[in-house]
Amino acid sequence: MVPPAPTPAAPASGGPSGTPRSAWPDEEAFREAAHDQGWTDGLPVVPATPERVAACLATVGLAPDAVLGAVPTREVTVTAELAAVNAVMAGCRPEHFPVVVAAVRAHLDEHGNCHSTTGTLSGAAHAVIVNGPVCGELGIASGAGCLGPGFRANASIGRALRLVIRNACRAVPGGLDRATFSWPLRYSFCFGEDETVPGWRPLHVQRGFAPDESAVTVHSVMRMISAWDSTSRTPEGVCDSLVAETRVHGMSGDAFLGDGINVVYVVGKEHQRFFVDAGWSKERMQEYLWPRLTAPTAAPRDRWVNLGAPANILIVGAGGAGMAETWILFPHLAWAVTRPVERVTLTP
Amino acid sequence: MSIVALDPTGGPPSAPRARRLAERPASLAGARLGLVVNGLGHSERFLDALAAELATLVDLAGVVKVVKAGVSVPPDPGDWSRLTEGATVAITGFGG
Repeated sequence: MVPPAPTPAAPASGGPSGTPRSAWPDEEAFREAAHDQGWTDGLPVVPATPERVAACLATVGLAPDAVLGAVPTREVTVTAELAAVNAVMAGCRPEHFPVVVAAVRAHLDEHGNCHSTTGTLSGAAHAVIVNGPVCGELGIASGAGCLGPGFRANASIGRALRLVIRNACRAVPGGLDRATFSWPLRYSFCFGEDETVPGWRPLHVQRGFAPDESAVTVHSVMRMISAWDSTSRTPEGVCDSLVAETRVHGMSGDAFLGDGINVVYVVGKEHQRFFVDAGWSKERMQEYLWPRLTAPTAAPRDRWVNLGAPANILIVGAGGAGMAETWILFPHLAWAVTRPVERVTLTP
Repeated sequence: MSIVALDPTGGPPSAPRARRLAERPASLAGARLGLVVNGLGHSERFLDALAAELATLVDLAGVVKVVKAGVSVPPDPGDWSRLTEGATVAITGFGG
Protein backbone atom coordinates (compact mmCIF):
# COMPACT_ATOMS: atom_id res chain seq x y z
CA MET A 1 0.00 0.00 0.00
CA VAL A 2 1.34 3.40 -0.95
CA PRO A 3 1.40 5.76 2.03
CA PRO A 4 -0.50 9.00 1.67
CA ALA A 5 1.45 12.07 0.65
CA PRO A 6 2.49 14.21 3.61
CA THR A 7 0.42 17.25 4.34
CA PRO A 8 2.33 20.43 3.50
CA ALA A 9 3.45 22.42 6.48
CA ALA A 10 2.17 25.87 7.23
CA PRO A 11 4.86 28.42 8.06
CA ALA A 12 4.78 29.61 11.65
CA SER A 13 6.61 32.50 13.22
CA GLY A 14 10.33 32.15 13.97
CA GLY A 15 11.68 31.49 17.45
CA PRO A 16 13.94 33.62 19.64
CA SER A 17 17.01 32.78 17.56
CA GLY A 18 15.19 32.97 14.24
CA THR A 19 15.13 29.22 13.66
CA PRO A 20 12.25 28.63 11.23
CA ARG A 21 9.27 26.69 12.50
CA SER A 22 6.26 25.23 10.76
CA ALA A 23 2.94 23.69 11.66
CA TRP A 24 1.70 20.23 10.68
CA PRO A 25 -1.71 18.67 11.23
CA ASP A 26 -0.31 16.00 13.56
CA GLU A 27 2.84 14.09 14.53
CA GLU A 28 2.41 11.54 11.77
CA ALA A 29 2.37 14.30 9.17
CA PHE A 30 5.51 15.77 10.71
CA ARG A 31 7.33 12.44 10.69
CA GLU A 32 6.61 11.91 7.00
CA ALA A 33 7.61 15.48 6.20
CA ALA A 34 10.89 15.02 8.07
CA HIS A 35 11.77 12.18 5.70
CA ASP A 36 10.82 14.29 2.69
CA GLN A 37 12.86 17.23 3.94
CA GLY A 38 15.93 15.05 4.50
CA TRP A 39 15.97 15.79 8.22
CA THR A 40 16.42 12.21 9.40
CA ASP A 41 18.97 9.43 9.30
CA GLY A 42 16.25 7.25 7.82
CA LEU A 43 14.57 6.44 11.13
CA PRO A 44 11.55 8.23 12.59
CA VAL A 45 12.23 11.44 14.48
CA VAL A 46 10.43 13.22 17.30
CA PRO A 47 8.95 16.64 16.48
CA ALA A 48 11.04 19.39 18.07
CA THR A 49 8.24 21.49 19.47
CA PRO A 50 9.10 24.85 21.04
CA GLU A 51 8.22 23.42 24.44
CA ARG A 52 10.50 20.40 24.09
CA VAL A 53 13.35 22.56 22.83
CA ALA A 54 12.90 25.02 25.68
CA ALA A 55 12.99 22.17 28.19
CA CYS A 56 16.36 21.09 26.81
CA LEU A 57 17.77 24.61 26.90
CA ALA A 58 16.66 25.01 30.51
CA THR A 59 18.98 22.19 31.60
CA VAL A 60 22.07 24.07 30.42
CA GLY A 61 21.01 27.66 31.05
CA LEU A 62 21.97 28.73 27.56
CA ALA A 63 20.19 31.29 25.40
CA PRO A 64 18.80 29.87 22.16
CA ASP A 65 21.35 31.80 20.14
CA ALA A 66 24.36 30.83 22.29
CA VAL A 67 27.03 29.56 19.93
CA LEU A 68 28.37 26.05 20.56
CA GLY A 69 30.72 26.06 17.62
CA ALA A 70 31.08 26.52 13.90
CA VAL A 71 32.21 24.87 10.71
CA PRO A 72 34.10 27.68 8.98
CA THR A 73 34.51 25.85 5.69
CA ARG A 74 30.72 25.50 5.43
CA GLU A 75 29.86 28.91 6.89
CA VAL A 76 27.79 27.09 9.49
CA THR A 77 27.24 28.15 13.10
CA VAL A 78 25.67 25.73 15.57
CA THR A 79 23.59 27.37 18.27
CA ALA A 80 22.28 25.85 21.45
CA GLU A 81 18.77 25.94 20.00
CA LEU A 82 19.81 24.13 16.86
CA ALA A 83 21.51 21.45 18.93
CA ALA A 84 18.41 21.14 21.10
CA VAL A 85 16.15 20.74 18.07
CA ASN A 86 18.26 17.86 16.83
CA ALA A 87 18.53 16.33 20.30
CA VAL A 88 14.75 16.27 20.64
CA MET A 89 14.41 14.76 17.19
CA ALA A 90 16.93 12.05 18.13
CA GLY A 91 14.82 11.01 21.09
CA CYS A 92 16.72 12.75 23.88
CA ARG A 93 15.07 13.68 27.13
CA PRO A 94 15.90 17.14 28.47
CA GLU A 95 18.37 15.72 31.00
CA HIS A 96 20.37 14.18 28.16
CA PHE A 97 20.95 17.58 26.59
CA PRO A 98 23.94 18.73 28.69
CA VAL A 99 25.80 15.67 27.45
CA VAL A 100 24.81 16.50 23.87
CA VAL A 101 26.07 20.07 24.31
CA ALA A 102 29.43 18.82 25.55
CA ALA A 103 29.63 16.40 22.63
CA VAL A 104 28.80 19.11 20.08
CA ARG A 105 31.38 21.46 21.58
CA ALA A 106 34.00 18.71 21.48
CA HIS A 107 33.13 17.79 17.92
CA LEU A 108 33.34 21.42 16.78
CA ASP A 109 36.65 22.08 18.51
CA GLU A 110 39.25 23.13 15.96
CA HIS A 111 41.22 19.91 16.44
CA GLY A 112 38.06 17.83 16.19
CA ASN A 113 38.49 18.77 12.52
CA CYS A 114 34.80 18.34 11.82
CA HIS A 115 34.80 19.26 8.15
CA SER A 116 37.32 16.53 7.42
CA THR A 117 35.87 13.83 9.67
CA THR A 118 32.31 14.27 8.37
CA GLY A 119 33.12 14.82 4.71
CA THR A 120 35.75 12.11 4.32
CA LEU A 121 35.51 9.29 1.82
CA SER A 122 36.43 6.96 4.68
CA GLY A 123 33.11 7.62 6.40
CA ALA A 124 34.54 8.16 9.89
CA ALA A 125 32.15 7.78 12.82
CA HIS A 126 32.19 9.77 16.04
CA ALA A 127 32.46 7.96 19.36
CA VAL A 128 30.96 9.84 22.30
CA ILE A 129 32.63 8.51 25.46
CA VAL A 130 31.00 9.70 28.68
CA ASN A 131 32.62 9.83 32.12
CA GLY A 132 31.61 10.89 35.60
CA PRO A 133 28.47 10.85 37.73
CA VAL A 134 26.25 11.69 34.77
CA CYS A 135 26.66 8.12 33.50
CA GLY A 136 24.90 6.66 36.50
CA GLU A 137 22.33 9.43 36.69
CA LEU A 138 21.26 9.06 33.07
CA GLY A 139 21.75 5.33 32.71
CA ILE A 140 24.52 5.60 30.14
CA ALA A 141 25.59 2.00 29.69
CA SER A 142 29.20 0.98 30.15
CA GLY A 143 28.79 -2.73 30.80
CA ALA A 144 27.61 -5.70 28.76
CA GLY A 145 26.43 -4.67 25.31
CA CYS A 146 27.34 -1.02 25.81
CA LEU A 147 28.60 -0.48 22.27
CA GLY A 148 25.31 -1.65 20.77
CA PRO A 149 21.58 -1.03 20.90
CA GLY A 150 19.24 -1.29 23.86
CA PHE A 151 20.12 1.72 25.98
CA ARG A 152 18.07 4.87 25.56
CA ALA A 153 20.66 7.39 26.75
CA ASN A 154 23.47 5.87 24.68
CA ALA A 155 21.28 5.64 21.59
CA SER A 156 19.70 9.08 21.74
CA ILE A 157 22.79 11.04 22.76
CA GLY A 158 24.91 9.45 20.05
CA ARG A 159 22.15 9.96 17.52
CA ALA A 160 21.76 13.59 18.54
CA LEU A 161 25.36 14.33 17.62
CA ARG A 162 24.86 12.62 14.29
CA LEU A 163 21.71 14.62 13.54
CA VAL A 164 23.57 17.83 14.41
CA ILE A 165 26.26 16.76 11.95
CA ARG A 166 23.67 15.99 9.30
CA ASN A 167 21.20 18.81 9.73
CA ALA A 168 23.05 21.71 11.30
CA CYS A 169 26.46 20.99 9.78
CA ARG A 170 24.96 19.82 6.48
CA ALA A 171 26.89 16.58 6.14
CA VAL A 172 24.32 14.78 4.01
CA PRO A 173 25.34 11.65 2.08
CA GLY A 174 25.99 12.52 -1.54
CA GLY A 175 26.42 16.17 -0.60
CA LEU A 176 29.10 17.26 1.82
CA ASP A 177 29.25 13.74 3.26
CA ARG A 178 31.33 11.95 0.63
CA ALA A 179 31.63 8.57 2.37
CA THR A 180 32.25 5.72 -0.05
CA PHE A 181 30.42 3.19 2.14
CA SER A 182 29.73 4.87 5.49
CA TRP A 183 28.88 2.41 8.28
CA PRO A 184 26.33 1.62 11.00
CA LEU A 185 28.31 3.46 13.68
CA ARG A 186 27.13 6.65 11.99
CA TYR A 187 23.61 6.12 13.29
CA SER A 188 24.70 6.47 16.91
CA PHE A 189 27.85 5.68 18.88
CA CYS A 190 27.87 6.61 22.57
CA PHE A 191 28.93 4.68 25.64
CA GLY A 192 30.19 5.27 29.15
CA GLU A 193 33.35 4.13 30.88
CA ASP A 194 33.14 1.52 33.62
CA GLU A 195 34.88 3.53 36.31
CA THR A 196 34.93 0.70 38.84
CA VAL A 197 38.07 -0.99 37.51
CA PRO A 198 40.43 -1.06 40.52
CA GLY A 199 43.47 1.18 40.11
CA TRP A 200 42.35 2.71 36.83
CA ARG A 201 41.78 6.45 36.73
CA PRO A 202 38.77 7.34 34.56
CA LEU A 203 39.54 8.82 31.16
CA HIS A 204 38.29 12.28 32.07
CA VAL A 205 40.44 12.32 35.22
CA GLN A 206 43.48 11.41 33.16
CA ARG A 207 42.57 14.37 30.95
CA GLY A 208 42.43 16.89 33.77
CA PHE A 209 38.93 16.73 35.25
CA ALA A 210 37.96 15.90 38.83
CA PRO A 211 36.38 12.51 39.55
CA ASP A 212 33.11 14.17 40.58
CA GLU A 213 32.90 16.13 37.34
CA SER A 214 31.32 14.70 34.22
CA ALA A 215 32.87 15.01 30.79
CA VAL A 216 32.51 13.84 27.23
CA THR A 217 35.29 12.76 24.91
CA VAL A 218 34.54 12.73 21.18
CA HIS A 219 36.87 10.60 19.11
CA SER A 220 36.57 10.30 15.35
CA VAL A 221 36.74 6.63 14.36
CA MET A 222 38.03 5.64 10.95
CA ARG A 223 37.92 1.92 11.71
CA MET A 224 37.11 -0.24 14.70
CA ILE A 225 38.83 -3.58 15.16
CA SER A 226 38.49 -6.21 17.86
CA ALA A 227 41.82 -7.34 19.31
CA TRP A 228 40.71 -10.78 20.42
CA ASP A 229 43.27 -12.59 22.53
CA SER A 230 42.08 -15.47 24.66
CA THR A 231 45.47 -17.05 25.26
CA SER A 232 47.54 -14.31 26.90
CA ARG A 233 47.55 -14.36 30.68
CA THR A 234 49.75 -11.37 31.44
CA PRO A 235 49.52 -7.61 30.95
CA GLU A 236 52.50 -7.78 28.63
CA GLY A 237 50.85 -10.48 26.52
CA VAL A 238 47.62 -8.55 26.10
CA CYS A 239 49.51 -5.35 25.31
CA ASP A 240 51.66 -7.15 22.74
CA SER A 241 48.48 -8.33 21.01
CA LEU A 242 47.17 -4.78 20.95
CA VAL A 243 50.45 -3.54 19.49
CA ALA A 244 50.45 -6.19 16.78
CA GLU A 245 46.82 -5.54 15.80
CA THR A 246 47.31 -1.79 15.80
CA ARG A 247 50.42 -1.93 13.67
CA VAL A 248 48.72 -4.06 11.02
CA HIS A 249 46.50 -1.09 10.25
CA GLY A 250 48.67 1.86 11.32
CA MET A 251 47.65 5.44 11.97
CA SER A 252 48.53 8.47 9.92
CA GLY A 253 48.30 12.18 10.52
CA ASP A 254 49.26 15.47 8.99
CA ALA A 255 50.92 18.78 9.73
CA PHE A 256 47.71 20.36 11.01
CA LEU A 257 47.17 17.69 13.65
CA GLY A 258 50.82 17.39 14.60
CA ASP A 259 51.45 14.82 17.31
CA GLY A 260 48.06 15.24 18.99
CA ILE A 261 46.24 12.35 17.37
CA ASN A 262 44.86 9.56 19.60
CA VAL A 263 43.93 5.90 19.58
CA VAL A 264 41.29 4.50 21.95
CA TYR A 265 41.48 1.02 23.47
CA VAL A 266 38.17 -0.11 24.96
CA VAL A 267 39.40 -2.84 27.26
CA GLY A 268 36.93 -5.59 28.11
CA LYS A 269 36.62 -7.31 31.46
CA GLU A 270 38.48 -10.48 30.49
CA HIS A 271 41.49 -8.37 29.56
CA GLN A 272 41.10 -5.88 32.41
CA ARG A 273 41.64 -8.53 35.06
CA PHE A 274 45.18 -9.29 33.94
CA PHE A 275 46.11 -5.66 34.48
CA VAL A 276 44.22 -5.39 37.77
CA ASP A 277 45.70 -8.62 39.16
CA ALA A 278 49.21 -7.47 38.26
CA GLY A 279 48.65 -3.97 39.65
CA TRP A 280 49.00 -2.22 36.31
CA SER A 281 47.55 1.28 36.14
CA LYS A 282 46.44 2.84 32.87
CA GLU A 283 49.57 4.94 32.97
CA ARG A 284 51.81 1.88 33.19
CA MET A 285 49.92 0.36 30.29
CA GLN A 286 50.44 3.54 28.26
CA GLU A 287 54.16 3.55 29.04
CA TYR A 288 54.47 -0.08 27.93
CA LEU A 289 52.46 0.36 24.74
CA TRP A 290 53.82 3.63 23.38
CA PRO A 291 57.41 2.69 22.47
CA ARG A 292 56.23 -0.59 20.98
CA LEU A 293 53.51 1.06 18.93
CA THR A 294 55.82 3.75 17.59
CA ALA A 295 58.92 1.64 16.95
CA PRO A 296 60.16 1.75 13.33
CA THR A 297 58.20 -0.38 10.92
CA ALA A 298 59.77 -3.60 9.70
CA ALA A 299 57.45 -5.31 7.19
CA PRO A 300 54.82 -4.56 4.55
CA ARG A 301 51.92 -5.30 6.95
CA ASP A 302 53.62 -3.43 9.77
CA ARG A 303 52.53 0.18 9.42
CA TRP A 304 53.46 3.52 10.95
CA VAL A 305 51.59 4.46 14.12
CA ASN A 306 51.49 8.21 14.61
CA LEU A 307 51.28 8.81 18.35
CA GLY A 308 53.14 11.71 19.92
CA ALA A 309 53.21 10.53 23.53
CA PRO A 310 52.01 7.75 25.85
CA ALA A 311 49.13 9.97 26.97
CA ASN A 312 47.78 9.94 23.42
CA ILE A 313 46.78 6.33 24.02
CA LEU A 314 43.31 6.56 25.57
CA ILE A 315 42.34 3.54 27.64
CA VAL A 316 38.71 2.99 28.55
CA GLY A 317 37.34 0.14 30.62
CA ALA A 318 33.94 -1.09 29.39
CA GLY A 319 31.94 -4.12 28.37
CA GLY A 320 30.76 -7.28 30.02
CA ALA A 321 32.28 -10.64 30.91
CA GLY A 322 32.93 -13.44 28.48
CA MET A 323 34.96 -12.45 25.45
CA ALA A 324 38.67 -11.85 25.89
CA GLU A 325 38.84 -8.82 23.68
CA THR A 326 39.67 -5.15 23.49
CA TRP A 327 38.22 -2.90 20.82
CA ILE A 328 40.62 -0.60 19.02
CA LEU A 329 39.11 2.69 17.82
CA PHE A 330 41.48 3.93 15.15
CA PRO A 331 41.29 7.69 14.58
CA HIS A 332 40.40 9.61 11.51
CA LEU A 333 42.20 12.93 11.06
CA ALA A 334 41.34 14.54 14.39
CA TRP A 335 42.27 14.72 18.04
CA ALA A 336 40.04 13.18 20.66
CA VAL A 337 38.58 16.22 22.42
CA THR A 338 37.20 16.23 25.97
CA ARG A 339 34.69 18.83 27.20
CA PRO A 340 32.87 19.16 30.55
CA VAL A 341 29.19 18.40 31.01
CA GLU A 342 27.74 21.63 32.40
CA ARG A 343 24.26 21.48 33.89
CA VAL A 344 21.93 23.96 35.47
CA THR A 345 19.29 21.47 36.52
CA LEU A 346 18.86 17.74 36.33
CA THR A 347 15.33 16.44 35.92
CA PRO A 348 14.99 13.15 37.79
CA MET B 1 -4.38 18.91 16.97
CA SER B 2 -1.77 20.66 14.88
CA ILE B 3 1.85 20.58 15.92
CA VAL B 4 4.56 23.23 15.54
CA ALA B 5 8.16 22.07 15.14
CA LEU B 6 11.47 23.79 14.55
CA ASP B 7 13.64 23.28 11.47
CA PRO B 8 16.75 21.23 12.48
CA THR B 9 18.86 22.80 9.74
CA GLY B 10 18.31 26.34 10.94
CA GLY B 11 16.77 27.20 7.59
CA PRO B 12 18.00 27.46 4.02
CA PRO B 13 21.63 28.32 3.43
CA SER B 14 22.37 32.03 3.48
CA ALA B 15 23.65 33.68 0.31
CA PRO B 16 27.33 32.71 0.73
CA ARG B 17 26.42 29.07 1.31
CA ALA B 18 24.17 29.12 -1.71
CA ARG B 19 27.13 29.67 -4.05
CA ARG B 20 26.84 27.91 -7.34
CA LEU B 21 29.46 26.01 -9.27
CA ALA B 22 31.52 28.08 -11.68
CA GLU B 23 30.75 27.75 -15.35
CA ARG B 24 32.63 24.95 -17.06
CA PRO B 25 34.82 26.14 -19.94
CA ALA B 26 34.19 24.61 -23.34
CA SER B 27 37.92 24.19 -23.88
CA LEU B 28 41.12 24.31 -21.88
CA ALA B 29 42.93 26.14 -24.68
CA GLY B 30 44.62 29.19 -23.22
CA ALA B 31 43.63 28.27 -19.67
CA ARG B 32 45.83 28.84 -16.66
CA LEU B 33 45.56 25.46 -14.98
CA GLY B 34 45.34 25.23 -11.19
CA LEU B 35 46.37 22.00 -9.47
CA VAL B 36 45.29 21.42 -5.86
CA VAL B 37 47.34 18.59 -4.39
CA ASN B 38 45.70 17.17 -1.26
CA GLY B 39 48.87 15.40 -0.15
CA LEU B 40 47.47 11.92 0.16
CA GLY B 41 49.27 9.01 -1.46
CA HIS B 42 50.62 9.84 -4.89
CA SER B 43 48.35 12.81 -5.50
CA GLU B 44 51.19 15.17 -6.47
CA ARG B 45 52.73 12.70 -8.90
CA PHE B 46 49.31 12.01 -10.41
CA LEU B 47 48.39 15.67 -10.88
CA ASP B 48 51.82 16.48 -12.30
CA ALA B 49 51.38 13.71 -14.84
CA LEU B 50 47.86 14.87 -15.64
CA ALA B 51 49.05 18.43 -16.21
CA ALA B 52 51.84 17.18 -18.47
CA GLU B 53 49.34 15.12 -20.46
CA LEU B 54 46.96 18.05 -20.81
CA ALA B 55 49.83 20.21 -22.04
CA THR B 56 50.31 17.81 -24.94
CA LEU B 57 46.65 18.20 -25.91
CA VAL B 58 46.03 21.93 -25.55
CA ASP B 59 48.02 25.12 -25.25
CA LEU B 60 47.88 26.02 -21.56
CA ALA B 61 48.79 29.56 -20.54
CA GLY B 62 50.40 28.33 -17.36
CA VAL B 63 50.12 26.07 -14.32
CA VAL B 64 49.56 27.11 -10.70
CA LYS B 65 50.24 24.23 -8.32
CA VAL B 66 49.15 24.31 -4.70
CA VAL B 67 50.21 21.60 -2.25
CA LYS B 68 48.07 21.67 0.87
CA ALA B 69 49.88 22.01 4.18
CA GLY B 70 47.84 19.14 5.63
CA VAL B 71 45.70 16.46 4.04
CA SER B 72 42.80 17.17 6.39
CA VAL B 73 42.50 20.92 5.94
CA PRO B 74 41.76 23.30 3.06
CA PRO B 75 44.53 25.23 1.30
CA ASP B 76 45.78 28.16 3.36
CA PRO B 77 44.63 31.70 2.46
CA GLY B 78 47.77 32.48 0.50
CA ASP B 79 47.31 29.44 -1.69
CA TRP B 80 43.64 30.29 -2.22
CA SER B 81 44.73 33.72 -3.47
CA ARG B 82 47.28 32.18 -5.81
CA LEU B 83 44.58 29.94 -7.20
CA THR B 84 41.81 32.47 -7.58
CA GLU B 85 44.10 35.13 -8.99
CA GLY B 86 46.36 32.94 -11.07
CA ALA B 87 44.21 30.13 -12.42
CA THR B 88 41.20 30.09 -14.70
CA VAL B 89 40.42 26.42 -14.09
CA ALA B 90 41.49 24.09 -11.31
CA ILE B 91 41.70 20.36 -10.76
CA THR B 92 41.88 18.54 -7.49
CA GLY B 93 41.90 14.86 -6.74
CA PHE B 94 42.16 12.24 -4.05
CA GLY B 95 45.50 10.51 -3.88
CA GLY B 96 44.86 7.90 -1.21
